[in-house]
Amino acid sequence: MRLARIGASEQMVLVNTSQFNPCVDIGDPVSQAKIYEAQAADELIFLDIDASLNNRKTTTSVVRKAAEEIFMPFTVGGGVRSIDDFRELLSNGADKVSINTAAIESPELISKAAEMFGSQCVVLSIDYKNDANGQPRVWIRGGKTRTDWHPLDWAIEGQRLGCGEILLTSIDRDGTCAGLDLQMIRRIADAVTVPVIASGGCGKASHFVDGFLEGKADAVAAGTYFSSKDQNPMQARAHINTAGVPIRLHT
Amino acid sequence: MTELVRCTRCVLPQTHETITFDENGVCNICRQQEKKEEIKWDGKKKELGELIESYRGKYQYDCLVPFSGGKDSTWTLYYLMKEYGLKPLVVRFDHGFLRPVLQENAQKTFRHLGVDVHQFTPNWKIVRKLMLQSFLEKGDFCWHCHTGIFSYPMWVALRYNVPLIFWGEPSSEYTAYYSYDQPEEVDEKRFNRYINLGISAQDMRIRLGGDVDERDLMCFSYPPLKELRRINYRSVCLGSYIPWDVKKQTAIIQEELGWEGDQVEGVPPGYEYEKIECYMQGVRDYIKYIKRGYTRPSHLASLDIRNDRLQREEAMRMIKEHEGKRPPSLDLFLEFIGLTEKEFLEVAMSHVVSPHQFDPAKVADGVKLHDFTKWSRDGAMPREEAIVQLQRWGGRGETNR
Amino acid sequence: MIGVVDYGMGNLLSVCNALEMIGAQVTIITRPEDLQDVERIVLPGVGAFHDCMRNLEDKGFREALDEAVLREEKPILGICLGMQVMARKGYEGHESEGLGWFDAEVVSLRSLDSSIRIPQVGWNDVSLKEGSPLFQGLPRSPDLYFVHSYFMKCTSEDDVLGTCNYGGLVTAVVGRKNIFGMQFHPEKSQEYGLKLLQNFIDWKS
Repeated sequence: MRLARIGASEQMVLVNTSQFNPCVDIGDPVSQAKIYEAQAADELIFLDIDASLNNRKTTTSVVRKAAEEIFMPFTVGGGVRSIDDFRELLSNGADKVSINTAAIESPELISKAAEMFGSQCVVLSIDYKNDANGQPRVWIRGGKTRTDWHPLDWAIEGQRLGCGEILLTSIDRDGTCAGLDLQMIRRIADAVTVPVIASGGCGKASHFVDGFLEGKADAVAAGTYFSSKDQNPMQARAHINTAGVPIRLHT
Repeated sequence: MTELVRCTRCVLPQTHETITFDENGVCNICRQQEKKEEIKWDGKKKELGELIESYRGKYQYDCLVPFSGGKDSTWTLYYLMKEYGLKPLVVRFDHGFLRPVLQENAQKTFRHLGVDVHQFTPNWKIVRKLMLQSFLEKGDFCWHCHTGIFSYPMWVALRYNVPLIFWGEPSSEYTAYYSYDQPEEVDEKRFNRYINLGISAQDMRIRLGGDVDERDLMCFSYPPLKELRRINYRSVCLGSYIPWDVKKQTAIIQEELGWEGDQVEGVPPGYEYEKIECYMQGVRDYIKYIKRGYTRPSHLASLDIRNDRLQREEAMRMIKEHEGKRPPSLDLFLEFIGLTEKEFLEVAMSHVVSPHQFDPAKVADGVKLHDFTKWSRDGAMPREEAIVQLQRWGGRGETNR
Repeated sequence: MIGVVDYGMGNLLSVCNALEMIGAQVTIITRPEDLQDVERIVLPGVGAFHDCMRNLEDKGFREALDEAVLREEKPILGICLGMQVMARKGYEGHESEGLGWFDAEVVSLRSLDSSIRIPQVGWNDVSLKEGSPLFQGLPRSPDLYFVHSYFMKCTSEDDVLGTCNYGGLVTAVVGRKNIFGMQFHPEKSQEYGLKLLQNFIDWKS
């Protein structure tokens, strides 16, 4: 989500991105959260992609409002830099907080947060794409700055430092509907014991199935897939279940 | 074209929303019907009586009945008045495409039964914008109708202080968003679950880039829960309390009210009681065929199979003969939303549900209906306006297939 | 009026929001004497067993809860850690005493299966015992949301109203007379969670 001008006023809006680039405005974050709850999504992840200090107050108020209207687990991330940020988001209703750039720059934040709030509250968000040499690397600052980390190594390190979950996002596949990066997902799922959430590329219901069966992901996340197609989590779930993946069916 | 896997009992295919198949290839919708047989309907009827008595006589109207004039809402109104002697407020949301026979049916019903009717027609210029936007976003142009039909009556309930609202058939006849043993309250949760296509009025305004006045979207937005609670509202399906039998119910309203069926584009003879309310129904069904590879005849046949009125082989023959024809109403639709047929196909095909594949070259033309010339062609979308929306959407529905 | 106990540990906000969503009148109880003013009590909890008991004792809640729950028989619902402290003993870290309302001990999930990933974080289906008014209107095995590393092992099967499977059979719901506990978070379990809270609000002895 990001701050946008709609009509005469500025508000936080939910957006779809494509390879982390120009966004399409999709809706109001809390309204969309209520809809996803009604459609029995398992968890929600709110990411403030502007991640600027200016947005902090607005993001917190979105979290507060969401906590009043939705009754399911949700994670908040984007621009989280300190224990205070963690505390503020958790005390306003978030169940988990995700860190990305700050974790690379100050890895001890992972351990500190896990110790203070419990590892289950700490989600390590890893964005990756191929660099100029075709090598997969972790990128930070919304996919703008390359690091030397290979996503596999960083995932292993993140677990060692105490994170409770890993949100793995392929920047190259984000918003393309071309399918998940199954190879990378599998490598990381095999290497760590914390749950891995695979994200980036779902365009068909079968992509979800592949993510579970081939990629061995514990969870598959999608945004574009649900908001810009005649699809919803309940439909996807039915398809995934039929394919033999043990997933909860609401009815 | 890939042959779709279909239920071994009815004929719904794997692309139907929420469908799953068990080890015998029988779909969950068929299995749900088994639960319908297990329901203790006597107990439900007793509950219905108690519910009604708790509201009767306490308000300006005993209940509110959202009404289209189709077989289900006509039956609902008739049943509540005949069986319980209620004084209802009938609320009708005009989606813009009401057909002549339907209007006559409604007139006959209102006069035979004697009811107050509140009818509302939303701003056409807003409606056509919404039709185009929801078609682009979701491959379903009926957002204004889905949302208006379910939220507008709730605003009326608030305004007139009529807290008991009766809808018709439960959704478990068609899909597995709810099952028969779950109480289906027709509330905001249900609205969000599958009525509004995952887009609230608030979200729609954002998707339109703020191009519409918030006030123009109010009739499509669900009222706040707090307000509904304040009047102690209950919004329920009559079909949760009495077993729904479409053929029997239709026969009764034909007999008692002079209700008449009508032809519908793409629907075989013998089903003239179904979906007669809207002259865009043919386009709606055609788009479904493009996206999911099946349409109205599959639905009708499946219902009949489950009620032991049709054999599966006959059903498959009927489907082959009647499904997937291009409806003449498409010409009007294209004018209303300002798209060319090529653009229309591109958009619809971008929403195809795998593994279905659609080949436009294989589509035959459908037949014009008897009232085709009476359908209004006024209010075509200016091309420049359509282009603004098309460009904003920018082909983001494109996928790798 | 429902009182949600604030003893310094727990996800008060979510629990209060959920209760308000289902139309209950909620007040936050910060002082033991305020338990007098409510008809029903909710005891939330997130964290460690011994910290919870120490906080309850330090703030004087121990006696007040015994009075309200055991003698006045006000209905009470413990959630997650709030349910666990209703046991006799807990073994998280070191052995500590609980409220003793259930003849049970709180032990690690690892005692069922040493290789199991802990904490259990996520949805799991809960088999509900038939006949309890707490489960009215719910399917036989609804999915509910768990976040925990320890669970309550009851001596008497009669106290166990619901179980899930995680490395073995895990107690998910307990109940005896006016005292109920849910290991999962009903306030995070969408529709079925809210329905369970609704049923607790409506429960009559």
